[in-house]
Amino acid sequence: MRAVRAAETAPTLHPWLVHAKELRVRAGRHLAVDGLDLTLTAGVHGVLGPNGAGKTTLMRALSTVVKPVGGSLTLLGAQVDGRADLREVRRELGYLPQQFGFYPRFTVREFVAYMAWLKEMPKTAIPDAVQRAIDRVGLTPKADAKMKTLSGGMQRRAGIAQAIVNDPELLLLDEPTVGLDPEQRLDFRDLLRDLGADSCVLVSTHLVEDVVAACTDVILMNEGRLLFQGTPDDLIARGGQGDAGDSPAERGYSALLRQHRSNA
Amino acid sequence: MNRIIGIELRRSAALGAALLIAVAGTIVLQATAGRWSMGWMALAMTQREYLAVLSPLAMAAGAWQSYREHRANVAELLAAVPRPRPQRMVPILATTALAVLVAYLVTLLAAAPRIADTARYLPPAAFVVVAVGLVAMIASVWLGLAVGRLVPALATAPALAVIGFALLILAPHALPDGGLTAAFSPAMGMSMFSDYDTVDGQVSAAQALWMAAVAVAGVVLFAVPNRKFAFAALLPLAIGATATVLVVPTGDAYDQGTLDPVAQELVCTDGTPRVCVSRAHEELLPEVTPKARHALELLTKTSIVEAHEDTSTVSPPTSPRSRADTALMTITLDQHGHLAHPRRLEPTMLTGVFTGPLSCGDNRNFTVATAAAYWLLDREPAAGPDGLEFDDPDAVKLWKGLQALPRAEAEARVVAVYQAARKCQDTTHLLSRGAR
Amino acid sequence: MTGLILYVRSRQVPAALGAAVAGTALAWLPATAFSVKGEVSSTVLALTVLLLVAVATTTLGGPDDTLDRTAARPWGWLRISHLATALGCVLMLLLATLLTGTRFGPFGCAVRDAAGLLGLTALGTATVGTARSWFLPLGWTLGAAAFPGMGTAGEALTWQTQAFDSRPAAVVAAVLTATGTAAYVSRGPRTTAGDLVTEPVRCR
Repeated sequence: MRAVRAAETAPTLHPWLVHAKELRVRAGRHLAVDGLDLTLTAGVHGVLGPNGAGKTTLMRALSTVVKPVGGSLTLLGAQVDGRADLREVRRELGYLPQQFGFYPRFTVREFVAYMAWLKEMPKTAIPDAVQRAIDRVGLTPKADAKMKTLSGGMQRRAGIAQAIVNDPELLLLDEPTVGLDPEQRLDFRDLLRDLGADSCVLVSTHLVEDVVAACTDVILMNEGRLLFQGTPDDLIARGGQGDAGDSPAERGYSALLRQHRSNA
Repeated sequence: MNRIIGIELRRSAALGAALLIAVAGTIVLQATAGRWSMGWMALAMTQREYLAVLSPLAMAAGAWQSYREHRANVAELLAAVPRPRPQRMVPILATTALAVLVAYLVTLLAAAPRIADTARYLPPAAFVVVAVGLVAMIASVWLGLAVGRLVPALATAPALAVIGFALLILAPHALPDGGLTAAFSPAMGMSMFSDYDTVDGQVSAAQALWMAAVAVAGVVLFAVPNRKFAFAALLPLAIGATATVLVVPTGDAYDQGTLDPVAQELVCTDGTPRVCVSRAHEELLPEVTPKARHALELLTKTSIVEAHEDTSTVSPPTSPRSRADTALMTITLDQHGHLAHPRRLEPTMLTGVFTGPLSCGDNRNFTVATAAAYWLLDREPAAGPDGLEFDDPDAVKLWKGLQALPRAEAEARVVAVYQAARKCQDTTHLLSRGAR
Repeated sequence: MTGLILYVRSRQVPAALGAAVAGTALAWLPATAFSVKGEVSSTVLALTVLLLVAVATTTLGGPDDTLDRTAARPWGWLRISHLATALGCVLMLLLATLLTGTRFGPFGCAVRDAAGLLGLTALGTATVGTARSWFLPLGWTLGAAAFPGMGTAGEALTWQTQAFDSRPAAVVAAVLTATGTAAYVSRGPRTTAGDLVTEPVRCR
């Protein structure tokens, strides 16, 4: 038995949870993320951008689904490169893709439990964690219904449940509110605020209002690059009377895009 | 309609499937070139045999197409479309049929150059054989489409292919008669026992009927709204099977039909001495004539003045009438469409002369005949691609004996062997008479 | 244990097992009716093994391989156990026929064919995806079933139907088993965008 050094037993403190520098990620043959610099700490970060901006590809890189082709990416203190063992990172990861598949005959409970097992949660903790996750997304009455009998919005909520079942430190949600009715969207905003209290949540969405209402930090992407990172108020401040949009935030969004396009 | 088919072609798996099937077909054909290098009929029939591989692949392609449609989940999208299902089916049926047709034809065309300059005899039956092959491919892919739609699982395509292979190759042997076996499987009845084999028109008609019935059953199965009505496909199968059984010749009639008498007909040179080959081997006449004429020159002391090809067949048994003035040649082709073992033509022909006609039965003595033939040619009777098939030390001994004799004496003995063989007499001691 | 049961269900293993049993029966019945001697021909054996392996292949990929991949579970062990179990099930089904009058053997051939074909489909799954992984095994085995192979090259090319003492055949099967297993265990099933199974969105 060798002596254990203090550094090994001290809890690891991450000054940031996600740090990307000059990140380049490919989607197919197209370089969807092209030189992105990003630092994320705890809180709810909303990612906005037009179609094709690279939001989904960024999500896929952060969830370790695809390997970056250039730049550096550090998640939860671990360098993501070809040889790293990502098991530690993946235990603390939650990911909801834009479209996901599931075995149709699974019940909601079984689906979330399966993902919990895949994330190597301790066996005894799984049933309670699953119940908690299902309750948090409001699917308790449907917990034992088969996935294929659920509506699109409920399936999406089941997807959110599997993403949060292991209380992840890094939660990535790609278009989580698709198919949710307005009341469910409001409930979801509350959930987001809850989750952002002690973990890093990254939400990609088209709905600017959701971002403004629930996020502590807004990120605007276009053509694979970071255009803007700041608070929702900062975003609103960028907008002027002449910009397109139904709300101040949307006007800020259009203004930033217009600026970027005229600079390019 | 053409635009729709164009779109359907591009979005479906038809092009990829056609390519893969064509590649598979080309590989199997080219790898076994020796089986079909005799001529066009051989190529058509051998490709039909390889339906054993091509047809299951076509079934798998059809099932795969249906599986892809199922995965893409377009069923719900299309259910709300006003165009009725039968009309929507037509582009899919058309494109898959087109794909397998092209694959089969491309495979044929890729093989054609190899024999294009050597094969001459092109009977109409060859076109019929290819046409029935095309119908069989279409039936296979439509059946695959239908089964793939009713059982949309990943394993359906390979499972269907395996079952198809079993039905095509293994099951027909359970049928009692050769004709029935051929009728119910487009890959059967295509064995070439001789270079003059063909497929009887009625057999082709029966095969086409059955394949058409399977194709119709496939369309019916593809069109039914759900599995409950699947049994409706049995009707065309029953009608087709009945018609097929009525049309196909069986027993002796079937065996007779496997031979093409026109292919066996002789085609001869214009000048003398006349050299004739069968119509199926017509392109070899220039190659064969000089050798045959050289051998005929050696036979001036006999009454033989012509050389004909030996067009005997085993099944059904036929043989040319034996004539006193004709020597028979055995002609076989190699995988390039030329004479196989060209230096064996003359020895074999001459040995045949000294053996005597087939009707002599057991009195024929090959050893003596071999020695005499090789003495005439002034070559040692050695085994090898240019000579004997097996070593024959007795023949070598007799030959050496002949070589030792003065020319006139040897020639007299050889002529005596010829006279005796013609009359079916025993030739055993005629060459060694004076060697005691 | 529950996690493993969920894994097995998500891969539709029960349905595959049922199909495998049905497939063996489907092959066994006509073989019993038509064959004269006790052992089936090498062609029938190779095709039956192909059928069983094709069924097993459907379990090599899940409903969402991308999502599976983001999980922490060490997939290497899971995949190799999966392959070994699949091989075991196929062999057990064939072994069962050895007890009957119509034997699907010799057992050495069954092992060689099953391992080689499973390796080939695993290689296919890792390179072109589960849905297409049966293309090459099907084409190759049909070709081998239709033609006899002679000589070292011929025996290697038609390894599925060779006698059990054929060395080229054994070598080819071993190579396929090794490369297929290595590829599948390290890379997993290839995911392509169009492979996701999603239910149509319902408006409720």
